[in-house]
Amino acid sequence: MEENKKSYFGEIGSAMKTLAIGMKTTWKELLTKKSTEQYPENRKTTLHVAARHRGRLVMNRDENGVVKCTACTLCEKACPNGTIKIVSQMVENPETGKKKKQLVDYQYDLGDCMFCELCVNACNFDAIKFVNDFENSVFDREALVLHLDKEVYEGGSLPNIIDGGADFEIGTFNTKTK
Amino acid sequence: MFDFSNITSWLHNLLSVTCGLGDFWTILIECILVGVCILAGYAILAIILIFMERKVCAWFQCRLGPMRVGPWGIFQVFADVLKMLIKEIFSVDGADKVLYYIAPFLVIIASVGTFSFLPWNNGAQVLDFNVGLFLMSAISSIGIVGIFMAGWGSNNKYSVVSAMRGAVQLISYEMSLALCLITAVVLTGTMKVSGIVDAQTGAFGWLIFKGHIPAIIAFLVFLVAGNAEANRGPFDLAEAESELTAGYHTEYSGMGFGFYYLAEYLNLFVVSGIAATVFLGGWAPFNIGVAGVDSVLDMIPGIVWFLGKTFGIVFLLMWVRWTFPRLRVDQILKLEWKYLMPLCLINLILMTVVVAFGWHF
Amino acid sequence: MKLENIELSFDNFASEMSKLKNQKHFDYLVTIIGEDFGEEGLGCIYILENTDNNERCSVRTIAKKVDGSDVIPTVVELWKAAELLEREVYDFVGIKFLGHPDMRRLFLRTDFNGYPLRKDFDMSPEANQFPLTDEPESDYTVVYSLDADGRLVATKKRLFEDTDFVVNIGPNHPSTHGVLRLQTVLDGEKVKRIYPHLGYIHRGIEKMWEGMTYPQTLALTDRLNYLSAMMHRHALVGVIEEGMGIELTDRIHYIRTIMDELQRIDSHLLYLGCTAQDLGALTAFLYCMRDREHVLNVMEETTGGRLIQNYYRIGGCQADIDPKFVENTKKLCKYLRPMIQEYLDVFGDNVITHNRLVGVGPMGREDCINYAVTGPAGRAAGWKNDTRKRHPYDLYDKVEWEEITMTGCDSMDRYYCHIKELYQSLNIIEQLIDNIPEGDFYVKQKPIIKVPEGQWYFSVEGASGEFGVYLDSKGDKSPYRMKMRPMGLTLTGALDPMLRGQKIADLITTGAAIDFVIPDIDR
Repeated sequence: MEENKKSYFGEIGSAMKTLAIGMKTTWKELLTKKSTEQYPENRKTTLHVAARHRGRLVMNRDENGVVKCTACTLCEKACPNGTIKIVSQMVENPETGKKKKQLVDYQYDLGDCMFCELCVNACNFDAIKFVNDFENSVFDREALVLHLDKEVYEGGSLPNIIDGGADFEIGTFNTKTK
Repeated sequence: MFDFSNITSWLHNLLSVTCGLGDFWTILIECILVGVCILAGYAILAIILIFMERKVCAWFQCRLGPMRVGPWGIFQVFADVLKMLIKEIFSVDGADKVLYYIAPFLVIIASVGTFSFLPWNNGAQVLDFNVGLFLMSAISSIGIVGIFMAGWGSNNKYSVVSAMRGAVQLISYEMSLALCLITAVVLTGTMKVSGIVDAQTGAFGWLIFKGHIPAIIAFLVFLVAGNAEANRGPFDLAEAESELTAGYHTEYSGMGFGFYYLAEYLNLFVVSGIAATVFLGGWAPFNIGVAGVDSVLDMIPGIVWFLGKTFGIVFLLMWVRWTFPRLRVDQILKLEWKYLMPLCLINLILMTVVVAFGWHF
Repeated sequence: MKLENIELSFDNFASEMSKLKNQKHFDYLVTIIGEDFGEEGLGCIYILENTDNNERCSVRTIAKKVDGSDVIPTVVELWKAAELLEREVYDFVGIKFLGHPDMRRLFLRTDFNGYPLRKDFDMSPEANQFPLTDEPESDYTVVYSLDADGRLVATKKRLFEDTDFVVNIGPNHPSTHGVLRLQTVLDGEKVKRIYPHLGYIHRGIEKMWEGMTYPQTLALTDRLNYLSAMMHRHALVGVIEEGMGIELTDRIHYIRTIMDELQRIDSHLLYLGCTAQDLGALTAFLYCMRDREHVLNVMEETTGGRLIQNYYRIGGCQADIDPKFVENTKKLCKYLRPMIQEYLDVFGDNVITHNRLVGVGPMGREDCINYAVTGPAGRAAGWKNDTRKRHPYDLYDKVEWEEITMTGCDSMDRYYCHIKELYQSLNIIEQLIDNIPEGDFYVKQKPIIKVPEGQWYFSVEGASGEFGVYLDSKGDKSPYRMKMRPMGLTLTGALDPMLRGQKIADLITTGAAIDFVIPDIDR
């Protein structure tokens, strides 16, 4: 950056020096540990996926396996993409005689979702959440339309990944498959 | 040291004497055999080099390189070759069809032509003329025509710019390349490839030892100029992918592109091979003048020496490629005409003086 | 900043604007907002800034109806940055600028019908069929002016000579960092003129916002310059929070500052790598990408995203920081410092790099201000334009850090500017990371968010320049008009003056060095 006042040969000399430093750096890297993570070989062993990663939407269930959703459609309204479609019906409680909304179908189109988490923010009943289950590719678009209240979600394709999977440390690389 | 000419003369006898074939048939059969061997060697080396480039490049970049096809990805190149072979070959609207189709062949001819000059072992040269080096640099120039025709014939503006760049660069660097070779010829006194290698046998017989300072300078300049000739980074601006997408071979698919791809890697090998032949003694083993050590070193076959030296230089050139950024076209010309050319000329005079006064070993 | 507009009429507009520029020294045109003001008609708001004392002002003018067209005199002679900005207004609102040298559409196709940001625009799918033909292209542009009788005259002007060798760099090209198309007139290897064509990834975000609720608008900001996702969303939540008058807790300020800086490191690392890659040094690129991975890992643990961060929301953050966030961030800072030297060793200090970058794409301080080249590209010319210093937000006026400026005015100093800013970002993070106070990470908001009536402009320092959001609210649950000041638009406009007479390879170099990302330009 400083003014170039070097002679013809001085210029060559300093140029060669910078080239040599470059060669030295790459040589050093040639001998250090590599950084490639070997997915999918490591998918059930050393894979780490942040627990908060938004892979897909699932429904929270209580201990009896009943969904918490009340079909209030706040999430449907919050979604910028129209990803969620809720079908509900009014059911009369036989004991009290009160009419109450009941969920019939909770349709979530994974292919349309842009993972903005606005639906989760909108929900007042803690009925839905995002999980880090990311292996969602299928061969048919139709298969991406999920009915969340019908499915029994048990952790997706990688059962041990929901809490983040294997440990990781900043500054190190995970190149192992085992 | 094992002399490969034993085998060739045995074969010649077998055909002409034992089988009683005439000269025409003997030579025809021999030519076909040699041709098949050369092409086979060419293909095998291409596969090795492409795999090597991928792995070496990956290691320099903290990556693992291909890992999926076969153990350590060794079948990756075969998969790629297969893909390239079954790809549809199409041409571009408005392209100059004749130039467009001839061009890859010219490039591959130049590449195979120069490849045939390499001395693999004692007595195992394919082409061995008394004007060997001269002819070799002449054949290598055909490649420029191919590149230029491809760029012009493709009807693509990027390709034209790239062809101009390529031609300018290759023609410029041929000066240095030839001057470096002449420097070596001054010392060895012959242009014949086998003669040059013969001159380098014996204790510290390699030219870079024998010709010390001027030979080392010539060697280094040769590597730079050879790298430019092979169109490889940091001199790959003819196909500068970030500027001109793929340059002159943008519009080629299938084996048309495959030929350029092969030629690029083989040119790298050829340049390294010539450097190894002319400056590092070709197949000549490293001798230090102590009989015991020398006889052990002589036990190693010449082809191992040759390939070892060549791949050493190939690795060096890969190291350079994967370290430096690309130059700009005016800087490439500046480097040649302002620095390398004058250096070569001075070096040539220096070498002449060294030889005239007998100051070499 | 709540806008207190200076109202100018058509007749005194030109002279008053010239006074603002020349006498009051408002020499930096931040942005021009074209807006349909309803009954008042179409008009523009100009946000101006004085680079001596960082004072901002805004000017509003209503377009005059002439022969059925809305016209405003151009300000291109005063602020060169207006060239693309006025074309954008023409494209979206349909105001014709009198005297503008190149009044074509900028983002939309030349055969697009209507002006989408007018309130009477027909949004029905029938009226907006997807075109199945090639975009018609003309070698001519048009200049509008008023003749002696006050009638609108359109004069055709030729863009290319017959003998010009025109090469399209892009829209699909390895080093335009997206779908940017630079129609380049070449003379051999030399560049004679560049016409940028934008809009290949235009998604009409500003139009979409007008039909969204405020929380929904947030979902789109991360899709602009995806390398400055945090900063983009910061500007948007910033302007909404300012409009609503929300007081944030200290914890939110701390987290936001740290996250912004992490994002800046992320973006700068990618910048360093891409510059190297555009110059053919793939190895240096991969070193930067390798280390960027660690930055992403740190952020992902907290935000759940790598590219699309999705972290800020109106009134705070999406979630509290990860329990290991502090520890991870410290490890990251420790890891990164020595690595920056490695980038210099392998690429930045290399003699070839210097030859490729020094003196390439030069643009001095005056021109940088005139063309509104903000960010590291402007700072490399000595213009102190860092929004974090000019209009501090969050904790930037409380931490100690230095605004990097350099004097080279060329691509080399733009590169070094990024390197030095990396160190500054690390400094900022290290000062804050141990002191994150306890408190809420989110201030609870009403279920339906409404911003009171008014106009606001809030800007943050993105990774490659000032990113601002203008908000015009009529008190509804969705904005009346929201407009972004993208970082890259003015940078693209500056490419032509930077590169005339330089080589094709320099075009690539300069494009890499000024650091634009196309989704941010196109929106």
